[in-house]
Amino acid sequence: MRGSWKVLRAGLVAGSVVAASGAASFTAVAGEFDGVTLRVGTWGGSWKANMVELIVPKFEAMGGKIEFVTGSPQANFAKVITGRGKAPFDVMEVLDAQIGDAMESGYFQKVDLSKIPNKKYVDDYQYNENMVGSWHTQEVICYHVDKFAEQGIPVPKTYADLIHPKLAGKVSFPDINSGGGLANFTAINIAAGGDRDNVQPGLELINKMKVLKFWSRGGETLSQFESGDILAAVSNGGWCLRTRKAGVNVDSVHPVIGNGNVGVAKVGWLGILKSAEGKNVEAAHWFINEYLTEEFQLLFAVKSGIVPINKNAIARMHEDEVIRDILVLDQEKIANELRFDYTGINLSAWTDQWNRMVAK
Amino acid sequence: MDRASRYKIRRTLGRVAFRAYCALSYIFLLSPMVVVIGTSLNGPKASTDASFQFPPENISLHWYARIPEAQIEALALSFALAGIVAVLACILGVPAALGLVRSNLPGKALISTVFRAPLQIPSIVTGIAFLQLFYLIGDLTGVYWQGTLFGLVLGHVFVATPYVVGTVTAVLQRFDMRLEEAALIHGASRWRAFRRVTLPVIMPGVYAGGLYAFMVSFGDVPIAIFLTAPGFVTYPVELFTALENDFDPSIMASASMVIFLCLILLLAVQKLVGLDTLLRTGGGGGR
Repeated sequence: MRGSWKVLRAGLVAGSVVAASGAASFTAVAGEFDGVTLRVGTWGGSWKANMVELIVPKFEAMGGKIEFVTGSPQANFAKVITGRGKAPFDVMEVLDAQIGDAMESGYFQKVDLSKIPNKKYVDDYQYNENMVGSWHTQEVICYHVDKFAEQGIPVPKTYADLIHPKLAGKVSFPDINSGGGLANFTAINIAAGGDRDNVQPGLELINKMKVLKFWSRGGETLSQFESGDILAAVSNGGWCLRTRKAGVNVDSVHPVIGNGNVGVAKVGWLGILKSAEGKNVEAAHWFINEYLTEEFQLLFAVKSGIVPINKNAIARMHEDEVIRDILVLDQEKIANELRFDYTGINLSAWTDQWNRMVAK
Repeated sequence: MDRASRYKIRRTLGRVAFRAYCALSYIFLLSPMVVVIGTSLNGPKASTDASFQFPPENISLHWYARIPEAQIEALALSFALAGIVAVLACILGVPAALGLVRSNLPGKALISTVFRAPLQIPSIVTGIAFLQLFYLIGDLTGVYWQGTLFGLVLGHVFVATPYVVGTVTAVLQRFDMRLEEAALIHGASRWRAFRRVTLPVIMPGVYAGGLYAFMVSFGDVPIAIFLTAPGFVTYPVELFTALENDFDPSIMASASMVIFLCLILLLAVQKLVGLDTLLRTGGGGGR
């Protein structure tokens, strides 16, 4: 396992060399963004650090500067709404669940797709004239391989398989307000026979699971596995990956949802604010295009546990045995994951029902 | 067994129970910090190991070296911001408390309620309200305060001042007015009487309120998350946004660093003011 990790790291180094040579080619347009300060709304921590490592130096080589406004997409979108479109950033990360509200707000401008040449490396459904996809996570059932075997618990295939006497009080599930909460709740509801107007089946299924804790941050599942508090967790595959790399023998199951969908995707998008003007619009397009490069997508995926959308980057992820084990890297299977259109859902009603039935 | 022996046994048992209660209280209060510091000192077994381990098996400062620079910069900003907020909250809060306790203003109860209002409003609402206010002011004047130290200070002073008003009011209500009258009778001006007689007596309340104001500002996320800007992020916001994606022991190292810094700060306060002074806000006694 460690060997394959080294291979991937070596690949990343090689990729960086390629990126560096790419940066050399940018010297041809040095000065293109002289005096431009591009403001990006994104998450903090290692998420931002990835961009600082690969994208920022290239932009600076062209005379510009990138500033990051860190916060969740929800918090950043709240800033946009509060400022009535006067956002403190030019380009921002948007989650799939926000797309409807974002478009309805009218605060985002169209993306000129001709300025995103790297779109050729991603599938057609991952970009449009409103937003460009940037990454996706695979929401999985992460389970403790050894403890399941020891206790004779069958490996789950669906969410319903987590209803098992030996798993009572040993399962962790995302809170609806957490990062992956909505995607997982939607998936479990559809798997249980519910739909956008009826979330009762999903809530009933969750109640039957006898969940130990509704986590608000994915990292909680890692420490719960380490402490032995849980045997299974519904979480982003990236956290399952990190748990395995932290030394706990976990594996993932991409649950069967129904209607031909296996697995759940939470999709990240990038949108350009209307408040961005002049050269900042050009810079925002450049940023989105850079986000889709193979090198960045790969670095990002390996460090943050997400799945790239750049096909070449996905192919290179096969080199890591653990990643291959935990995540789905086959394009057809990726396309088969549940991608829910949240436009028009009554999120307040969903949350109210969740609070009444689950978060007691 | 005679009465004296029974009394002795009861007294001994009482002491033991009291000490056990005190010990349990200390354990309850300190154990989270011990776990945080202990976990931060556990070195990784392998280069990819970012697991949490308590008690630590492999004592190391590895994670302290991994604290992101951004968190250290944010920490410096937070200390500076909290210090400014504490001072300003005292400058606003002390006269407000004096006015509320000593004046005969009509509608005093209403004014007092208004001063407490910031504590009733959820902080996240305060953050959004200030952001909207700053946009409105910016649209009118062309000067935008969001993402500036001034804007952050305004937001934090708003929520921190009621603490100073509360603690100083508590002290003033027990203040013996005859002390001030004696000073006035002996020829002191109003200002001199306040500075030399009243202020020393109410200082415990001012210190306590100032400390609360400092803590409120230092630990705030909901307001700061709306008012910070690139390169201008407070420590709790930096940690909060990092926690959304990262979960390794460097977070514990960072938190431990803050615990140590706060301990140093408290020791400095103890040396300069005396922590017992801070606890005597209701006693009305000076130093």
